[in-house]
Amino acid sequence: MNIKQKAKSFRFLLLTMLGIIVGGTLHAQTVTGKVTSSNDGSPLAGATVLVEGTTVGAFTDDQGRYSVNAGSGANLIFSFVGYARQTIAVEGRSVIDVVMEATDATLEEVVVVGYGTVKKKDLTGAVSSIKADDFNAGIIVAPDQLVQGKVAGVQIMTNSGQPGGTATFRIRGNASVRAGNQPLFVVDGVPLDGRTARPDVGLNGIGASPSANPLNFINPNDIESIDVLKDASATAIYGSRGANGVVIITTKRGKAGAPSISYNASVGVSSILKRLDVLTGDEYRATLQDYGLTGGNFGGSEDALGAILRNGITQNYNISINGGNDQGRYRISSSYLDQEGIVQKSGLKKYTSSFNGTYNFLNDRLTIDMNLLASHNREQIAPISNDAGFTGSLIGQALQWFPTRPLRKANGDLDIELGSTTINPLAMLEANDDVANTTNVLASISPSFKITDNLQYKFLYSVNHGNGLRRSQIASWINIQGVEGRGWAAFSNNVLTTQQFTHTLNYNTSLGSNVDLNAVAGYEYMKFENRGMNLSGQDFLTDEIPYNNILQNSSQSSRGIGSFVDPTAELQSFFGRANVNIQGKYLFTATVRADGSSKFGDNNKYGVFPSFAAAWNLANEDFLSGSPFESLKLRAGWGQTGNQEFPAGAAQERYAFGNNGVFNGLENVANPDLRWETSTTLNVGLDFSVANGRIYGSLDYFNRSTTDLLFNFETIQPAPAGRYWVNLDGEVINSGFEYLINAFIISSDNISWEVGINGAFLTNVLKNYVGPSVLTGALHGQGITGTTVQRLESDQPLNAFYTREWQGIGENGLDILTDNGNTFYYLGDPNPDVLLGITSSFTAGKFSANINFNGAFGHQIYNNTANTILPIGNLNSGRNIAASLLDVDNQENLSNSIKASSRYLEKGDYLKLTNATLAYNLGDLFNGYVKGARVFVTGQNLFVLTNFTGFDPEINVDKQVNGVPSFGIEYAVYPTARSIIAGVSFSF
Amino acid sequence: MKLKRILIIFSVMTFFSLGCTDLVETLNDDLTGQAAQDFIKARTDVSALLQASYEGLRLPYQDQSRFWAAQEHTSDEVIGPTRGPDWDDNGVWRVLHDHTWTPEHSFLTSTFNELLQVVFSTTNILSFNPSATQAAEARFIRAFVMFSVADGWGQVPFREPGDNLLDAPRVLKGSEAVDFIISELNDIIPDLPDGPKHLANKDAARVLLMKAYLNKGAFANRTSPTFDNGDMAQVISLADQIIGSGKYQIADNFYDNFAPNNDAISTELIFSNQNRGGESSGNVRSRWFCTLHYNNNPSGWNGFTTIADFYNKFEDGDVRRSASYDGVTNVSGIKVGFLEGQQFDQNGTALKDRKGAPLAFTKEVKLIETGDNLEVTGVRVVKYPIDYASGDNSDNDYVFYRYADVLLMKAEALLRSGGSTGDALAAVNEIRVKRGVAERTSLTLADILDERGFELYWEGHRRQDQIRFGTFLNAWNEKPASGSERLLFPIPSTALAVNPNLEQNPGY
Repeated sequence: MNIKQKAKSFRFLLLTMLGIIVGGTLHAQTVTGKVTSSNDGSPLAGATVLVEGTTVGAFTDDQGRYSVNAGSGANLIFSFVGYARQTIAVEGRSVIDVVMEATDATLEEVVVVGYGTVKKKDLTGAVSSIKADDFNAGIIVAPDQLVQGKVAGVQIMTNSGQPGGTATFRIRGNASVRAGNQPLFVVDGVPLDGRTARPDVGLNGIGASPSANPLNFINPNDIESIDVLKDASATAIYGSRGANGVVIITTKRGKAGAPSISYNASVGVSSILKRLDVLTGDEYRATLQDYGLTGGNFGGSEDALGAILRNGITQNYNISINGGNDQGRYRISSSYLDQEGIVQKSGLKKYTSSFNGTYNFLNDRLTIDMNLLASHNREQIAPISNDAGFTGSLIGQALQWFPTRPLRKANGDLDIELGSTTINPLAMLEANDDVANTTNVLASISPSFKITDNLQYKFLYSVNHGNGLRRSQIASWINIQGVEGRGWAAFSNNVLTTQQFTHTLNYNTSLGSNVDLNAVAGYEYMKFENRGMNLSGQDFLTDEIPYNNILQNSSQSSRGIGSFVDPTAELQSFFGRANVNIQGKYLFTATVRADGSSKFGDNNKYGVFPSFAAAWNLANEDFLSGSPFESLKLRAGWGQTGNQEFPAGAAQERYAFGNNGVFNGLENVANPDLRWETSTTLNVGLDFSVANGRIYGSLDYFNRSTTDLLFNFETIQPAPAGRYWVNLDGEVINSGFEYLINAFIISSDNISWEVGINGAFLTNVLKNYVGPSVLTGALHGQGITGTTVQRLESDQPLNAFYTREWQGIGENGLDILTDNGNTFYYLGDPNPDVLLGITSSFTAGKFSANINFNGAFGHQIYNNTANTILPIGNLNSGRNIAASLLDVDNQENLSNSIKASSRYLEKGDYLKLTNATLAYNLGDLFNGYVKGARVFVTGQNLFVLTNFTGFDPEINVDKQVNGVPSFGIEYAVYPTARSIIAGVSFSF
Repeated sequence: MKLKRILIIFSVMTFFSLGCTDLVETLNDDLTGQAAQDFIKARTDVSALLQASYEGLRLPYQDQSRFWAAQEHTSDEVIGPTRGPDWDDNGVWRVLHDHTWTPEHSFLTSTFNELLQVVFSTTNILSFNPSATQAAEARFIRAFVMFSVADGWGQVPFREPGDNLLDAPRVLKGSEAVDFIISELNDIIPDLPDGPKHLANKDAARVLLMKAYLNKGAFANRTSPTFDNGDMAQVISLADQIIGSGKYQIADNFYDNFAPNNDAISTELIFSNQNRGGESSGNVRSRWFCTLHYNNNPSGWNGFTTIADFYNKFEDGDVRRSASYDGVTNVSGIKVGFLEGQQFDQNGTALKDRKGAPLAFTKEVKLIETGDNLEVTGVRVVKYPIDYASGDNSDNDYVFYRYADVLLMKAEALLRSGGSTGDALAAVNEIRVKRGVAERTSLTLADILDERGFELYWEGHRRQDQIRFGTFLNAWNEKPASGSERLLFPIPSTALAVNPNLEQNPGY
């Protein structure tokens, strides 16, 4: 926008302002009356009566009565939430009674789409909307877990069971060949950065710990609805950030009426969902004998995994107050969550507060929305890494611990063998202290102004600021190589700030009979900043004081110091959308967004992302009148969206400064042609409702083709770096079919039972890629350095497993491999063919029961844990083995090498009982002082049906190589918890 | 009034926030464009860039999985056996031993790329007005690295200073590369300093020049190398310049050349890669870690060994086979040289393996060990005396060129060009005397190869030597005779994909 346009907008605003102030009044008189509801004739308290064109007005009292001074020729506007607004001329009367007509909200259910809302019946795109009532219950730190199993085509896998651990959220499968496959999350109109301020740290000798969930700052109890935008006609309005789908989180807002306090409290206990079958002390002794081994029997019987686990107690308290009237509404809330991890010395404490308010001015022409979400998370992080080597991380160490060897000596001291590569997991736990404190504030203010009845202007400013500080240390007395005898401590800090300005104009009009137009146009500017620092040291004189308290005591040569400020990334966008509705039968939507990004190269500053969609409400056609369909809508949409999730600074040359006064010189290969990745999606869907709404659902077919794949590719040597960012030739095609069917099996006054099933059939393939195979899926552990098991290659699904084919154990006790292991084959696919979610909600009188299953089928998981943590050779080296290794025809040779092969490629099919809640509604208590009291008990992850032998098939450990993501590999992960939670909620 | 104020605030806010951006990306912790050029010019010298180039040599040369693996694991003096649970590593070590590597071999690919990154960084220095000495240093490092690429792959991608990095560079193939290296070295020797040995210096350039002349015929025709008398004369004359300088002599203690303080005590070092103990080092420590057993001190990775036939060639009394070294043997019982048979700690107590069996290294070793004794097979090699004082950053400077190599090259050139056998014998015996073995009375080319093995084992020269002496394709241990395509490594498939000027080497 240029100066001229700026000036224009300013002048326009001034004129509007004047127009409002000049509006005059005639001579005044007092008007009184009573406002009642059309439902039952009861008086409405708190309804607004406003003299049109003025700020003069009044509220109705408890009896619904009002009194207001108004000119005899004035108009009075009556309004109340949930009722249709009425404008009535005074015409000299002094008493005006009004009956307000209730509007039926259920018929007009609203779905949140980008930069606006749309009635569900008018929707043209593939959008799934989940309301608070349908959310998963239980211990929920980040809101993505609320919709697990609820949305067709969405797969959510945790990357770690650590409380607050991050999740892999996939809408309609994997589309990108580098990290950045997460959807765009938008909270109350604020698109998030996607990163978390909690620093990631490589623990000395242990490895990189999993990331925290970037959504941890939100209190799930503050959320009103989550809308998942799946196809391009819905997401194209988010342009270069919409390709992986968009998840819109809308928080609860105040409702008009007297202040109401809602309170809920729950307490739960969590324990490990599933343990791995390793040998007990006695089994181990027997096995040593079978193998003729003399060492290895320490005489005890130790359950090392059991020793580091516990029953974790979780407490959660939420309080919120909301209230207001037609002039202003507010909601404030506070929550406290204290989740003990199932691994000792791990957990999360989360404190949140929120405030939001909506205030109307100038006869409701001006509305100001304010939002504030503040949170503080304290994570105590277990020493469990994604990439531990031979000496493992905590879970690996516990699984491997000699089951015949007590963890403690007779005198109670921990049994630590200095110099040894066998690590006592209890000692590891004790030696490690790793705490991250992250504070996050998301604040926004959004005035909107009704310029005319048809035209509304809205402005949004937001700032999202996160500050994370992590203090990690490992004591010198643990026998971790590099730490033993030295100790290690590190501070890491990360500060993440996002700012946003959005201007939108919304225009509604009728174009002749039965043709309605809604148009939105907007401009948005976003700025992303990320900075941080880290300090580390070793060799402290004492173990008595936490090293992090005396970092200055570290030896000079052991110190590490670093700071960084990422290039500032700016995004400037122009967007628009038009909806045309013809007779409620034919709906058309067109959107376009032009995104300019500072990250893009000089030659490609702006990308344009269009979409078109149409829908036909067949049920409104005469030829279907009398059919069993209450609604039947055919939708079709096409659109393009982008992905720009690559690090800033890739398009220009960077000269870097290294450690100790070293100037590194040019450190990258700049690519001025760098641009966004483009996804083109075609979506055809059908929404239906039959038998008086007892059965309803949707079917969708989609085909998404992603091109100009952003990739960190090999440079053309000689070059200053090994890799640079390019747009690769090739295309990733995700296609599939999704369905959602809900049915009321019983629907009577007292009893209702609704069952829903949603699912997806997905395929995923990389096409037309002619470059060299891209290796990813790094395995870790003993004997497997540098081994990868996944590849990106044309005509294969993304992350196809590529390894040696295992045929069994031969008579000599050694692996039999096809072609002696000299040839590698494509032997599996981590991308599920089928996703499934089943929900059931049953209500009988005051009892209600909700159950939610979810599952995935037709994919493989690589069990890196079985491969390198629990192999047979451990019998030789004083480590435990998987019990299943003994259950074979040919006794496996202790010298059978540890190697990657299809032996560890397991079927990943599973069905999990994710959530089951039984609740009893006590209703109103104590003469109605306490309202809506409810007690409930929830089970989370109650069981999982699977043949996968690891902790949990719904786990995805990050095993990326050079930024190319892995998928479907399990490695000694923080185990998944099963939880039982009991709670109470009420309001007054 | 309240209303007016709100509107004014609202309008003002809107006005300011409408500001459009031109989307210029600000780098906050790096320099770019003119600012970077200005910074470099303002500093008047490019020593910081030069320092970064020297340190760039650490990874590709000092790490156990890079150029060292390419030169040694493919030869007859190193094997990386898979030992039960350890060292399968998807077969990367085995394919080097049995000559079945492919264009996707991860270590060979990394080596190729990392060497060429140094070619870039040194070329880049030339863009920033270096002094004559600095330019000569940069060009020396570049020639040094290019020689390794020519040796391994026979094709060397090359950019002029300031070339567009998005364009495919030209490729110097075969003799073209060697000719370029020779002309570069002749060009820069006058400008190079005389020392120190961990930086580019005149004698280092002379040794590289000797290697270029000596191997020129082998690089040109790897299946049947030819040796031009003129080239050999160059080798001899360059050797004589180095010898005549009187700066070097064969060390009294062979292992001083590799000791933690070798920069101070070695009398043989001509060119080395500096490691700063406790502070900043390459992975020189992998030389002992990759071979020592878990129950040694330090606890090793129990990996690489030498091969029995190679070990058996050593004569009794050769200090290069085994010796005690102060600061190592008295600390941990570990000897230097080759470790065979029962191992002891510093108190003379016999060590055991993890199963409780005697820690006694055997001569025989298989590529895939499955037996009961899989932890102890193979003779271990500790050529660099262990630095117990410096933690992860060992102090031992990594040895590229030393005086003994110069003498042996001179002897070889004399034999190859029909020169004085007496002079050749003198050169060889000068070394042998110091190493505790009897002087030779006759000398054949095969003897020279053996002598190079005795002296230079595990220093990263063996593949080049075996190719020049025509023994690289022979069968040894479990390796069958290999095809002539194995005389070159394949161009990595990733490099081939991005640079159309490279062509895959024949046979791959």
